[in-house]
Amino acid sequence: MLTAGFHRAALRSYTGFKSSPYTEGALFYGERLVDAKVLDAIVSQARNLTETLIEAACEPGGA
Amino acid sequence: MSPEMTAAEIRRIQTGIKEKYDRVAAEGAGCCFQYPTGREGLERQGYSPAILRDFPEKILAAFCGVGNPFSLGPLYPGEAVLDIGCGAGVDSLIAAHLVGEGGRVVGIDVTPAMLEKARINLARLRWPQASFREGEAEALPFPDAEFDAVISNGVFNLTVNKAKALQEAHRVLKPGGRLMLADMILMAALPPDRQDQVANWYQ
Repeated sequence: MLTAGFHRAALRSYTGFKSSPYTEGALFYGERLVDAKVLDAIVSQARNLTETLIEAACEPGGA
Repeated sequence: MSPEMTAAEIRRIQTGIKEKYDRVAAEGAGCCFQYPTGREGLERQGYSPAILRDFPEKILAAFCGVGNPFSLGPLYPGEAVLDIGCGAGVDSLIAAHLVGEGGRVVGIDVTPAMLEKARINLARLRWPQASFREGEAEALPFPDAEFDAVISNGVFNLTVNKAKALQEAHRVLKPGGRLMLADMILMAALPPDRQDQVANWYQ
């Protein structure tokens, strides 16, 4: 999965179903990495939002 | 794909798999697997009772998956989902239930007889967000970045070129898209007399 490009690729658990004495079901998860530019935009927006909330909280009457 | 595998062996594997699933389509899921199928299989794998309650028993009876890909994370209303190796369409239809009419689910399979079963099951629900078509994991008939999630249940172990199948799943996912995969894996070394047997693929 990693070779195919998946991010956070993991074998999460076994399912207990067996098709032979040598095999068992398993659950795998992976993500296609978010485009770096999109990720930067999300992080930037989250940072701006956090700063706005902190500034609002520090103003008189802020929480 | 094993570098030692010949073209003739690959053909035998693909023919053997197709013959097995032709039999599943004709005789039902209970005919051909060593683990629980149908409603018992779904319940043992922890599929949501609330979802199972909404499905006709004839659809649930067709389940022959090896795990529960939905246990790996949610599907959200409006998402586009691909089910690779959909068989009779049980997981595809569960995904269609989860994404709702604003979403889209496509199930693909290489066995026409199983696709026919999937279409019959879809006709029982008449959900416009689900559809089925012929296609194989190693050459997905979709453009890049088409789906929010790819699910699959007991299919990648049957693909000859697993690396290519995973590359294809990655290709059709949108950035941030998720692969939720249940599959059969080898847990112990095969005894010498079973190693390199082509029939291991589809027995």
